[in-house]
Parts: sequence; structure tokens; C-alpha cells
Amino acid sequence: MTSSLIEVRGLVKTFGAFRALDGLDLVVGAGEVHGFLGPNGAGKSTTIRVLLGLLRKDAGEVRILGGDPWRDAATLHRRLAYVPGDVSLWPNLSGGEIVDLLIRMRGADPATSRREELIERFSLDPTKRGRAYSKGNRQKVALVAALATDPDLLILDEPTSGLDPLMEQVFNECVAEQTARGATVLLSSHILSEVDRLADRVTIIREGRVVESGRLSDLRHLSRSRIVATLSGAAPDLTGTPGVHDLAVDGSRVSCTVDPDGLPAVLSVLTAAGVTALTSTPPSLEELFLDAYRDRAGAGR
Amino acid sequence: MSTSTSGWPLLLRLGLRQDRVLAPVAVAVLVLMSVASAAATPGLYADQADRVRAAEAINASPAIVALYGPVLDVASEGELAMTKMTVLYAVFVAVLFVVVVRRHTRVEEETGRTELLGGTALGRDAPLVATAVEAVLLALALGLLTALGNTVSGLDPAGSVAFGALWAGTALVAAGIGAVTAQLSASARTCAAYAAGVVGLLFVLRAVGDTGPGWVSWLSPLGWNTQVRAYGDVRWWLLPCYAVAAIVLLGVAFRLRSRRDLGSGLVPTRPGPRTGSPRLADAFSLAVKVHSTTLVLWSVAAGALGIVFGMIAPGIGDLLDSEVAQSIIDELGGALVAAILSIVAVVLTYFAVTVVSHAGRDEQDGRAELVLATATSRGRWFAASATLALVGTAGLLAVTGAGLWIGYAAADGPGIGNLLLAALAWAPAAWVVGALAVLSLAAGLRWSVLVWAWPAAFLTLGLVGDLLELPGWLTGLSPYSHVPSLPSDAWSWGSAGGLSAVAAVLLTVAWWRFRSRDIG
Repeated sequence: MTSSLIEVRGLVKTFGAFRALDGLDLVVGAGEVHGFLGPNGAGKSTTIRVLLGLLRKDAGEVRILGGDPWRDAATLHRRLAYVPGDVSLWPNLSGGEIVDLLIRMRGADPATSRREELIERFSLDPTKRGRAYSKGNRQKVALVAALATDPDLLILDEPTSGLDPLMEQVFNECVAEQTARGATVLLSSHILSEVDRLADRVTIIREGRVVESGRLSDLRHLSRSRIVATLSGAAPDLTGTPGVHDLAVDGSRVSCTVDPDGLPAVLSVLTAAGVTALTSTPPSLEELFLDAYRDRAGAGR
Repeated sequence: MSTSTSGWPLLLRLGLRQDRVLAPVAVAVLVLMSVASAAATPGLYADQADRVRAAEAINASPAIVALYGPVLDVASEGELAMTKMTVLYAVFVAVLFVVVVRRHTRVEEETGRTELLGGTALGRDAPLVATAVEAVLLALALGLLTALGNTVSGLDPAGSVAFGALWAGTALVAAGIGAVTAQLSASARTCAAYAAGVVGLLFVLRAVGDTGPGWVSWLSPLGWNTQVRAYGDVRWWLLPCYAVAAIVLLGVAFRLRSRRDLGSGLVPTRPGPRTGSPRLADAFSLAVKVHSTTLVLWSVAAGALGIVFGMIAPGIGDLLDSEVAQSIIDELGGALVAAILSIVAVVLTYFAVTVVSHAGRDEQDGRAELVLATATSRGRWFAASATLALVGTAGLLAVTGAGLWIGYAAADGPGIGNLLLAALAWAPAAWVVGALAVLSLAAGLRWSVLVWAWPAAFLTLGLVGDLLELPGWLTGLSPYSHVPSLPSDAWSWGSAGGLSAVAAVLLTVAWWRFRSRDIG
């Protein structure tokens, strides 16, 4: 499959007795924005660091940009840009120096890059020393360096942590521009709204394993809607109706989650009981996220 | 009620916990050196007359006086036994206390940990108060143990108390210097450079005073160390002067602290360039850029030290004619230049250690990750630090040698051989120790504390080994012990080649380990 820029199969990484990655799969196709979701400690950063050749895998297959990240790290890195989640800068170098250094180290020329434009858009002061930047500004330095050139692949590990909403907006625009010219983006995050807005596909991981992966539209389809209804008459008994879960009855108020297949049946029962108010919420990514965890945790028991 | 110092006992406990290895080990090493010197002296001299001759020989040599200070009471056994300890090793005491103070004040501020704690019920001055209290406790421990150790080794008890007190006094003054310099710059490294500069200046002041106009020595607390005459007719009144100096310095530090914001320095940081130089484009140029200020300061210090001692060294020529003097100088660690170089070589090895440990911190903090995620290979990143460490140390030795040569030529000294070569002869030994530091880094982050330990361990082994007459195989573990004492000894290809080969093997092993390990 030549259209995949990242192909990970059965990746295992252990730190002593701790199994950080336990048979993880991740496929990122060319030109897509792939959301990489998971709670803290799920193994997102570990996966990324294996992809960058910083960590050595214990088992499994890892291909990135068609090469082996451990063996060909330096060559492959000419075609990608990386923004770590927690950016640490050289205390006595200025932001501008660091941006130019990182661009040059990737084999590009800062003069022909978009550095000036991005410094402007992110309203970054490039003359400050590394030690004087706040967390958000350190993040901006790394983002400007990564977005200034035209890499084939962008690996962004929680890139907006520390950015204010205005700067998040700028970031979203920049990612959109990158994908418009054909770049592939791996976006790790636990800020779900960000992924919701940008990602075509997501992979949700927990404890070093994939719990859910696919197109966002497909995942939504698979998941349940939350129905809250206020009724004029007595609450009907929905227990046993196929596809109904988490049923709660509070006087004339009924709430439940419903599988897509069960929706028509549930709605007709509620209509018959005399609905005065009805809300149906499509699953947000948060719920997808929680669903995926709950199922996994439940199956594990 | 919350005051500007509230919360300091908590910080004191935290500080003592952070120093639970460094402080006991450093104090133990210092006490051990003093005790070893005290215990070894009676065996070195047959009788009182021998000792007096030795002491007079020291006083007759401006070069040795410049390095160690004069022996003010030639009849005193303790004064002779503590020749090296009184001033030269007191510098190590000072360094320890500057390090301790800096790491609990400016380093914590620069890393943002003070800010983290500042959000709790801690007063603005609490870190400085806690650090000062810890320094006092540590100085007391050092003074008491030294006094006790010297007494047990057979030196006069009253003199030992005075000696312990003068070391503790040096420690307190150094803590004050550390506290003041920590206020000056937002960069912990720049603060360290200021502190080192002040300690160096105090050493040079007393070297000048001891060999020239005597009043100059009184300007320096290190000069007071000699003037206390711990094992002679003790000047007890001088001891409170250390405390006064320390209190004044601490007072200045508190005043300066109240005038600046957390995380900032009194010397404002100039804005940096908007764009990076095209030369700053790879791992090696980055390492050079990061260490450029350090490299310049070290070069100036090494060159100045070389010139000063090069100018003093010709005074030793008259002494070398006398057979007695010759043997005494040998006992004191070889000819003066060799003696200076043997210490300078260890000190300059710490340049390599600084570079290697900086690479370790880059890895820990994620800056190495940032670089390795570019087209920079592991090999280049690793080689950049290793090369700068080893080449830089050799370069600094060359600067010292050139300084010695210039100073010596300016003072019209008789030909004693190639001083540049004498300095460079130490490079292979420094490389071995530097390579050990690189190996410690390559072994993994949890071993990185060893990076700092190697040179000090070998220096201690060499000094204690001589004094306690440890078996040859044990003292032979120190790479420094295999360096011929140029210019009095001849250059040895065997030593240079052997040590270089060992360094090369160590570096190869380090690379083999580093290329296959995880980063971070």
C-alpha cells in the first residue's frame, strides 16, 4: 500500500516491566489529517517517538514515509516536521535563531520559507531568549519552525497546549493550508474539539492498544444518540426495547441512549405516550471517546 | 501571618533532601584530604630541623607561595602539614558552597520550580533564607569534622579548631558570594561565571599580596586563611571577620532580591537576533554556539592563570640548585609548573564535563528530541558534544601552556623546556576522563550523575593515594597518574599513546551503546 505514509502493525514497546505499547496498529493515508486520541499515558507520545526513531521498538512493523524510522531516521526526517507536546528551548538562543536552526537542520532555507509570515500570524516576538518564553510561546516557536517549510508529513503532538483560542484558530488555518497543498498530518490530542474540526479519520488508543479506529462519520454512525423526552402521560416501559441503553425514568422525564437501529421503534413509542419536549443529541467526539473506553474497560472485566 | 520569609523550613528540608548525596560526599572528600595531609606529614620529615628547612624552602619560593601561601610559623608542624589545605583546597571548599547556593536559588528559578512553589504560601525571600541556613549547617559540619579529623591525626587541638573555623569561614563567605552572584543574571550559567570570577579574583589577590605588597592579601578572605596562623600564634580575632563578610554579602543578596522580579536578573537580558546566522545550521555549530560564552571565559581564565604562574615560576630556578630544596619540592608534588598543571588539567577536564552534562540535560528536557527529529542523525548529535568536549579541553590546555610560556618568557626565566608541550601532555589523560563522562551519558540518563564524579574522584584518588601510600594499582586507576610531570620529566609517547588509545576505546564503546538506546 503505497498511499500510506505511516504504517504501524502490532507495535510493542516496553520500559522495563511496563508495556507502554501493546500491539498497536496505526495507518495514516496520504493527504489525510489523522486524529490520534487517548488519555494521558495511553502511549501517544511513545508511538510518535518510535515513529521518529527516537525509541527502539520491541516488536511489530513500523514504516514511515516508506522507510524504517530506526535505520533511516535522518534521511526520512528531511521530509517531515515535528512539534513535541512540551517544547523546551535553548535558554540563551533567541526564538528567531531557534526557528532558523530547526529549518536549516531539516535541510531547508529559512530565507525562502514562510517564517516571517508565520511569526507575524502567531504574533511571536523572535528576539526573546528561549528562557524568557512562556509555554504557549515556546509552542509557537516549534510550530513556526514546523509549518514554515512544506514537509510531506507533519507530526504534531498536542500542538495547541498552551495556545490561547485566537492562536488555536491560527493553528487550525495553518493545518488546513498544509492539507490543501497535499500534506499529511498526524495530530495527537486530547482536545477533542480540535480533532473534530480537523481530522478525517481518528485512532483512539488506551493503555497502548487501539480501541477504535476509522472515519469520523463511520464512528458516529456506530454510536448511540442520547434521547431526552418529557412526556404528557405516563412514561412507557422501554425496558427490553432493542437498542436502548442507560435508561433512566424520572417522573414524566425519560432519558436513554439509543443505537441507530433502535431509533425508529423508540420514537414511535415516545410519540404514542405524548411527547411535550424531545432532544436528540448526536454523539460528540467526547462521547465516542468515553464509549470506547467504557466498552474496553467493560470487556476487560 | 505570611511574611516574605514564610515557608523557609519546608524549603530547607527540600534542599537538604536534594543534597543528600552531593553534600555528604563533598564534605567527606574535603575532610579526608585534610586528615590525610595531617596524618602523612610526621612521616615525611625526620625532625623539627627538617620541618623548619622545608617550611623555609616554601617561603623562599615565590612560586610556591603564590600557589599555597606562605608558612607564617616555620616551627609549627600543623602549618606545614596544612600548606596545601589552607588556601588552595579552601578554593574547593568555596566552589562547593557556590554550587550548593546556586542550585537552590538561580537554577531553581531558571527551571521554573521556584515559580511552582511561589504559588504556595512561600515568601519571596524563603528560598534565599533556606539556602543560607543550609549553607551555615553545612559549613558548621565541615568545620567541626575537619577540626576533629585533624586533632585525631595528631595535630594540635586548638590549632585544629582554628583551622576548622577558617574552612567554615571560607565556606560562609563563598555562600555569600554565591547568593549575590545568583541575583545578577537570569541565566544560571552566567551567574556561575560571575561567582567563579570572584573566587578566582580573591585567589589572585592573595597570590599577589603573598608574593608582593602584603596588604593586598588582607583584601581577600582566602588571604585571611593564611593570616589566621591556625597552628601558630592564632589570630582568633580574625575568625569573626568571615562571619561579618558573609552577613554583609547575604544582606546585599537580600537587598538585590527585593529589587528584582522572580526569574529576572539585575543585569537585563539584551534582545536576541531576529534571525539565525547561516553558520548555525548543524549539531556541532549549535554546541559551539551554546557553549561559546563558557569557552571564552574558560580561555581567558586559563590564559591568565598560565601567564601569572609563568611569571612567578622563574623564582623556582634558584631553589632547584639546592639538593634539599629539590627534594622538598618533589614532596610537594613535583616542580611548580608540573604541580600547577596537574591541578589545572583536572579543572580543565570539567569543561568537557560541562559540555557532556549539558548534552544530558538537552536530552532530558527534550531539546535533543527536537534536534533528532530533524535531518540530524544520532551520530552527528553525539559526535558534536563529544568532539567539543575533548577538543575544547585540549584547546584550553594549549591556552594555559601558551600563557605559561608567555609569562615565563616575560619574566626572563632560564630555559626549562617546552611549556606548551608540558600542558598538552595532560590532554590524553583529560580525554580519558572526558570519554568516561561521554560513556556515562551514553549508558543512559540515570548514569548521568557520574559525569560530574569522574574528575573529582581521580583527583582525590591521586592526592589521597600519595599521602596514604595506597598500592600502585589503585592510584594507577587514575589516568592523571600516568602523565609524566613535564617539564621536569621527559615527554612520553607511551603515556600519550596509551591514554589516547584508552580514550578512543571508551568513545567507541560509548557510541556503540548510544546508537542502540532510547532517547530521553
